[in-house]
Amino acid sequence: MSQVRIIPVLLLKNGGLYKTVRFKNARYVGDPINTVKIFNEKEADELVLLDFNASQEKRGPDFKKISEIAGEAFMPMGYGGGIRTLDDAKRVFDGGFEKVVLNSILFEDLSIIEQIGNIYGAQAVVASVDVKKSLFGKQKVYGQSGTRGSGLDPVEWVRQLEGAGAGEIFLNSIDRDGTWEGYDIDLVREVSKAVSLPVIACGGAGNIQDLKQAIHEGGASAVAAGSMFVYQKKGMGVLISFPAEKLKI
Amino acid sequence: MFNTSDQSYRQCALSVMDTIADPDIRFDEKGICNYYYEYKKAEAALHKGDEGWAMLEKIADEIREEGKNKPYDCIMGLSGGVDSTYVAYLAKQLGLRPLAVHFDNGWNSELAVMNIENIITKLGFDLFTYVIDWNEFKDIQIAYLKASVVDIEAITDHAILATLYRLAGEKKIKYILSGTNVQTENTLPKSWIFNKHDHINIQSIHKAYGTLPLKTFPFSNAKVKRYYQQVMGVRSVSVINYVDYNKKKIKELIQRELGWRDYGGKHYESVWTRFYQGYILPTKFKIDKRKAHLSDLIFGGQITKEEALEELKMPIYDPAQFKIDFDFVLKKLGLTEEEFNAIMQAPPRSHYDFDYEKPIDVRYPALKPFKTIYRTFFPVK
Amino acid sequence: MLAIINYGLGNLTSIQNMCRRIGVEAMITDDPVLIGKAERLILPGVGHFRKGMENLHASGLKPFLDKLVLEEKRPILGICLGAQLMTKHSEEGDVEGLGWVDANTIRFREEGLKGLKVPHMGWREIILQGSNPLWENLPAEPRFYFVHSYHFDFQRADEVAATAVYGAEFVCAFRKGNVYGTQFHPEKSHKFGMKVLENFSRIKAEP
Repeated sequence: MSQVRIIPVLLLKNGGLYKTVRFKNARYVGDPINTVKIFNEKEADELVLLDFNASQEKRGPDFKKISEIAGEAFMPMGYGGGIRTLDDAKRVFDGGFEKVVLNSILFEDLSIIEQIGNIYGAQAVVASVDVKKSLFGKQKVYGQSGTRGSGLDPVEWVRQLEGAGAGEIFLNSIDRDGTWEGYDIDLVREVSKAVSLPVIACGGAGNIQDLKQAIHEGGASAVAAGSMFVYQKKGMGVLISFPAEKLKI
Repeated sequence: MFNTSDQSYRQCALSVMDTIADPDIRFDEKGICNYYYEYKKAEAALHKGDEGWAMLEKIADEIREEGKNKPYDCIMGLSGGVDSTYVAYLAKQLGLRPLAVHFDNGWNSELAVMNIENIITKLGFDLFTYVIDWNEFKDIQIAYLKASVVDIEAITDHAILATLYRLAGEKKIKYILSGTNVQTENTLPKSWIFNKHDHINIQSIHKAYGTLPLKTFPFSNAKVKRYYQQVMGVRSVSVINYVDYNKKKIKELIQRELGWRDYGGKHYESVWTRFYQGYILPTKFKIDKRKAHLSDLIFGGQITKEEALEELKMPIYDPAQFKIDFDFVLKKLGLTEEEFNAIMQAPPRSHYDFDYEKPIDVRYPALKPFKTIYRTFFPVK
Repeated sequence: MLAIINYGLGNLTSIQNMCRRIGVEAMITDDPVLIGKAERLILPGVGHFRKGMENLHASGLKPFLDKLVLEEKRPILGICLGAQLMTKHSEEGDVEGLGWVDANTIRFREEGLKGLKVPHMGWREIILQGSNPLWENLPAEPRFYFVHSYHFDFQRADEVAATAVYGAEFVCAFRKGNVYGTQFHPEKSHKFGMKVLENFSRIKAEP
């Protein structure tokens, strides 16, 4: 039996943590350093920290800040947000992160995946794919925090990413983000089937059943969530939690 | 460092309060300190046992009646510590429907968060969290550190009060359930604290040393509080004062019933409080808060003086934990070790060195005659 | 003092952070003089085997470490790629390693994997083999974070300190005298990793 990774996702903005709904209406959640400290003490399997507006605002990573945050985690951490060059990636790794999460840059330059992978290993490069239904109801990939349509079909795109050497796919449903309605299982299934890479499902998880569903029905290799781990319940106050129950497949 | 053979050092005959804890402490001919008598006086005013419970039930009836068609009939702060956890437990026993309010100032320990989760889930209450903007809170904390004033916790205390009253007013809740209690909190030398209702003091200390404008920090002032109390009829009920509060027994109860986990030390649900009480207070201000807390337990017959003395012998801060906390605090506050040590070395200053809330006729003496007239028509309730 | 050897690869900051958290003094250094003075060494590593060996050669550290470890018996802990480098040879790049232990580094075999994906990435419980100072007082059901596509292949059981199962059973930790190695990342394994590093920081140097 393999233990499935359960991964809290934290959204960073101006040095503070926020939570969105459908990638909008960011609400303040608190101080990232203390939040990561708490997740560390709860022995979270892994953490992903995303500076979600970085590319949109044409910013690079705040290396000093994210290193301070990484210093509180004694489990693997991934960082995404504004990474555009090999040097950016190097500085993120040097700051104490195991993985870099790339998104917007990939629409311009896929070769960066291999550049980073050749030195740090493919598993250190996570390709993040944000998906939402277009006006015509078809699932499409979006860049720049969901503001710019790429016209790409998610399955085609992840195949390209696999070909480019990515180690993992971080699949985010914009439509489900922050809704507590459960993952978009069809989307997760389609993408997981299309590649042999591990796929981390994200967007919509509201409870442990949702996590299990993404694994058993969606074929995801790992499950990520935001709202579920930072709010006590839907509509209730901020309270950090992490399930004690381990998921296995 | 005091010398027990130093003539000026004295310890209470009954408790562990002494001249270091409070240089203004007074002893009677039996060598018993004033805090004992103050405790006994406060204790005598309380109603306990069956009588206390009956009174509490009567208050609960009023609360339920008043809140009949509303989503919540009362509001209470929840920190994850013993006192507020017990209040939550009592609220459930009394059949009340509280809105639990957690105040997150960025220093929560994992234990506190876990305890709150268990309480909310097991008792089935709704949780509202007020998350203070960390940058603003940090700015005020650093201002207080640089001001070298003693009551740095007043910032959090003030914000909690302001938030509770504001929420009570917004949601038309008339009752705040409070965890303050005589049995463990009565003894408190005035030199250790400052009026937590005073927003002017906070603002003036921040003005002197702060760097950011305070846009979201919840302030309250005496007038606002009076408004909530007198116009909106909000009142605070110190629930624990109506029941027997044997700390040891209560801890066992909440551990058993609510899965509560103990931290060690009062108020150590906050990393900052642990650091403040374990390091800043003793080192910079020569204050060991354990003396007050343990003395209350002695006065209430919950522990003996010998047990208290044994406890005081133990280091106030586990050295390994202190190192970890020291790094963490400096990282969170963005201070270097040099900056922090300089703050620790600086001599303490009084809160009164800064502006503070005064009654209007003290602030503006020319208004005094007007106040007299005003009060004739609108006496203080 | 513990020296975390900087040869250009690996989670140096994370290891140092964990050492600091458990109260162990550790410095990150590529300076042979400082490394020579340290009581215990950590050889970290993440990335390609060939690059790892190239860096060790290019920096001049290889002969120096050989002497410290093989002759002076300085306790050394290899982590992930760092531990793999201690073997004789790796299929990753078909490159010779340091040869400090009687083992090779090989890729996960398809038949053994039984359909599981490579790299092996995630938390896995380990099976302790025999007594070992690193495992002292380890919390029950010890599990660690793994991320690798290649693993050790030992011929001799007496150097095997722990195994784990990913499809098939594989060696995940070894010990040969003063030379220790773990495939997993203690610096990313919470309380389990803290205990391992804490134990390593207490190992007595052999006479």
